[in-house]
Amino acid sequence: MTYVGSISRLASLSNRIGVPIIAIGLPLLAWELLSAIYPSGSFLFPAPSSIARLIWSQLSFDNQNGELIGHVGYSLLRLLVGVALATIVGTIIGALIGFTQWGRMILRPLLSLFMPVPALAWTPIFLLLIGIDNRTTILIVLIAASFEIIVNVASGIDNMNRRLLWVADSMGATNMQKLTKVIIPGILPYLITGVKLGTGFAWRSLIAAEMLAAGSYGLGFMIYRASELLDMKTIYAGLVIIAFLGYVIENVLIGRVEAATTERWGIQVER
Amino acid sequence: MVAKKIVAQNVTKSFGSVEAIKDVTCSILDREFVVIIGPSGCGKSTFLYMVAGFEHPSSGALSLDGRQIVGPGPDRGIVFQEFVLYPWRTVLRNVTLGLEIGKVAQVEAEAHAKKWIRLAGLSGFEHAYPATLSGGMKQRVAIARALTYEPEVLLLDEPFGALDVQTKNYMIRDLQNLWQEASKTILMVTHSITEAVHLADRVLIFGARPSTIVAEVKIDVERPRRVSNSRLKSYEDEITAILSDEVDKAMRQMNVAV
Repeated sequence: MTYVGSISRLASLSNRIGVPIIAIGLPLLAWELLSAIYPSGSFLFPAPSSIARLIWSQLSFDNQNGELIGHVGYSLLRLLVGVALATIVGTIIGALIGFTQWGRMILRPLLSLFMPVPALAWTPIFLLLIGIDNRTTILIVLIAASFEIIVNVASGIDNMNRRLLWVADSMGATNMQKLTKVIIPGILPYLITGVKLGTGFAWRSLIAAEMLAAGSYGLGFMIYRASELLDMKTIYAGLVIIAFLGYVIENVLIGRVEAATTERWGIQVER
Repeated sequence: MVAKKIVAQNVTKSFGSVEAIKDVTCSILDREFVVIIGPSGCGKSTFLYMVAGFEHPSSGALSLDGRQIVGPGPDRGIVFQEFVLYPWRTVLRNVTLGLEIGKVAQVEAEAHAKKWIRLAGLSGFEHAYPATLSGGMKQRVAIARALTYEPEVLLLDEPFGALDVQTKNYMIRDLQNLWQEASKTILMVTHSITEAVHLADRVLIFGARPSTIVAEVKIDVERPRRVSNSRLKSYEDEITAILSDEVDKAMRQMNVAV
């Protein structure tokens, strides 16, 4: 590596990491100072350092204070199960819209009708049907994540060059070979985009749903209960953790999968 | 006497009320290089797609080796103007696909693919993804892909239409070599007279819609053919004259319609 190369690499690294740190760090520092100057305000606006201490003290598995791990674990589990189900359901419905005439005719209008309804609005119905239960929150995740997956898979099929199938036909491909070698890899980038966007929606809906429909665990439940106990530090800790996990799931985890496929193949998924 | 590879007997194709092709009768010999040329929109690509099996004649018969063509199959390879590569597959994986579908063992498939990758001038790019290649190289991949699974007939649908002139000239030269190496029957559709006279043993000229074969020109020039060859120029003039009559006819038809 050349000297100039290493300098520019260092510069781009500091841009990528340094700038965000300053952008987040400076307001936090100001907040910290203000809460030190005006201790009377620290009930509604507890110092960032005290929130950090709370999170740190909760990050243990063994003692009474280890509840946070349980809240995080439940929320992530519900998200994972719900998104996994949404991926299956969304791919099937998206494929029906993309490949079949009747699917397009029947499902498209239903999709346009229900897509504007916030997933959370379904909560009262599920509460009456199922009650306060993991199934309720998982269903909310399923609904919140499905629409983006359906829309993206269907548009992936629409945008697929039909001649890719012609080429496979002229090689004597069976229907099964066309499915595994052409259709699935062809729509994969769209599916990944759908899952990424859907997971973002689902995460936000899940936290809200947990405030209404979780009995004992979940980050949403944790915040809601803390508000009833006027425990501001826990509320802020919850917000920090929700933001952090949301970022990691959407950008780091699914971003990795995206980099391994879409970016490697040089495909642009249009949105 | 050379065997007839492809035989078309009174082939007609209509799309709804529009008659695209009317009464095309011709035969293409084994290992012959035939180019179909005609004004744009004359249905020449439709004819090629019928030979490929993607489209079906409205009436008439189309056969390969005496068997009626009912659908696409691995005895005919196709190359499209817009390449149609699989973007998620590397060059090597694109080229091996035909053999993969035919359940050929991977080692054997790769050895075979590498031969055609080399002959197509793509050595060193085996592991590149199509998005990183230029138009000319993409078309080389598509040609290598169609040759690797050893179809008996290679169908080329305006293969150089999307390439710049410089690239096109190289491709014309290299396709002649590939054709000699592969010793296949080639049926190619183009609207470029230069491409036609450089590549073809025989040029079939399609007329304006509903189109049929209006003339046939045998290009009797030894290979390899050079751009400077003066006899190619006179063939070019001959075909240009026939084609411009057809274009005039097409224009007059449009005027009558108006």
